[in-house]
Amino acid sequence: MRKTIVPGGVMLLLSLVISIGSVTFLGPCVHDDGSVGACWWAGRALLGLGCLLAVISALVLLSPRARFGAYLSGLAVCALGALTPGTLIALCRMSSMRCRAVMQPAMILLFAAAGLTSLTGALLCAKEERKGKE
Amino acid sequence: MKMLPLSVKNLTRKPGRTAALTLLTAFLALSVFGGSVVVLSLRAGLQSLEARLGADIILVPSEAQSKVSFQNMFLQGTTGAFYMDSSVQEKAMEVPGVEKVAPQTFLASLKADCCSIKIQVIGIDPARDFTVQPWIARSLTGELGDMDVAVGCKVEAEIGEIIRIYEQRCKVVARLEATGTGLDTAVYCNMNTMNTLLAAAEAKGISHKIASGDDSVISAVYVKVKDGVDIDRVNSALTGHLRKVTAVRTRSMITGVSDSLAGISRTVTVMIVVIWVLALIILLLVYLMIVRERAREFAVLRLVGASRSMLSRMALLESALCGLTGGIAGVALAAIGIFSFSALIESSLGLPYLTPAFSTMLALAAGAVLLSAAVSALASAFAARRLSRVNPGTALREGN
Repeated sequence: MRKTIVPGGVMLLLSLVISIGSVTFLGPCVHDDGSVGACWWAGRALLGLGCLLAVISALVLLSPRARFGAYLSGLAVCALGALTPGTLIALCRMSSMRCRAVMQPAMILLFAAAGLTSLTGALLCAKEERKGKE
Repeated sequence: MKMLPLSVKNLTRKPGRTAALTLLTAFLALSVFGGSVVVLSLRAGLQSLEARLGADIILVPSEAQSKVSFQNMFLQGTTGAFYMDSSVQEKAMEVPGVEKVAPQTFLASLKADCCSIKIQVIGIDPARDFTVQPWIARSLTGELGDMDVAVGCKVEAEIGEIIRIYEQRCKVVARLEATGTGLDTAVYCNMNTMNTLLAAAEAKGISHKIASGDDSVISAVYVKVKDGVDIDRVNSALTGHLRKVTAVRTRSMITGVSDSLAGISRTVTVMIVVIWVLALIILLLVYLMIVRERAREFAVLRLVGASRSMLSRMALLESALCGLTGGIAGVALAAIGIFSFSALIESSLGLPYLTPAFSTMLALAAGAVLLSAAVSALASAFAARRLSRVNPGTALREGN
């Protein structure tokens, strides 16, 4: 039981880094004149996905019955999150810009790490369930 | 007795100890691989800058004077637009020792045209250019036609895509190879396209007219000096011959970059050496502590018939396995960090940065992994010798 909770805790931590990071240190390009580019919307989408992942992680920690399903939905959110900057929502055209140099790689790595954690959690849950049936 | 399965079992039975040793060697591999890649990338960037500059002297208007900002245009891709009379190129050709000249015109795009920052648009004369044209020719087989543009590798635009610069539709016909310099962030077009863009910029209130009111303007003239002629003498002659024009020797720009590169290389090398010496000392101490901890285990193995050389080999194999695993993990971590954030590293260093070829990276990675495994085994050699010479009777009695 305890083993299946640990990935949920790691996911919660990662989702908080994603959510807070998408509006602060891992955020999109900052414009002097206050205007926003395409990357700003990508940043907002990442904030939303980060919050969603946090809710799913909370569900993993609080509801043992929903744990397996929550891990699977977490995996889907992570795949969506990794594809959001650059693939699903366009970023600025210059690869030296903040959204491409910092936000995109950092978010892909964070969502990949959260996805792997989610997958590990789902596998542990499946293993525990199989053991229970035996 | 099969050595490998026993060694693997020994390692998995003590996960804490194995993890600590693996982490330490991972740190070694990370530092040597990461440091080497950064230094090699900087060297490759410098070579690329030398190749791309191509000219011996660059003539710019005196208003552009600050060599630093001109250097930044090459190194960091900062935009700059300054103009002078196009007759400067003919006047430059009059100076003895000048072999050929090639004009370029710069224009900074509007923020809203493309993305949130300005992009440097560079107009070249394809027939006369000897600096950018050879580089463009590698990616574009045909001519750079009117309203066609070639984009640097850092400009995210596909071939065939239409990009708007000052509301003018320009077709992307080529994406250029990476140079690791600020030239990667620019857009290149021919002089006809540049004149159209200058007129469009004028309509938007961005004037490029010079004091004389002449419409025919250029931003820089690249000068190639004849072989065997003293470049400094030609540089002085150009400065004296041309009014309101500054002659910049490209060598002085490269020397500045080269000095910075040497400084960074030295710092990285010193850091790698310090990390390795410290890690080696820690590894030696850890293995010496392990001798004490594992004396009884080895005594039992001696009693069941394991020879001294077998025990010694087993201890060496265990440490080499730790080193190998740690090495692979360290190299993988460094590769993820360096390749994912290469643009950030480049902009933070502010120097030309060109990632080496894949084969070089692979050789570096293999070297770092093998070195970590070898160092780990070497550090444990003394401990392995002591463990193999353990006296079973004494060791088992001490344990009681």
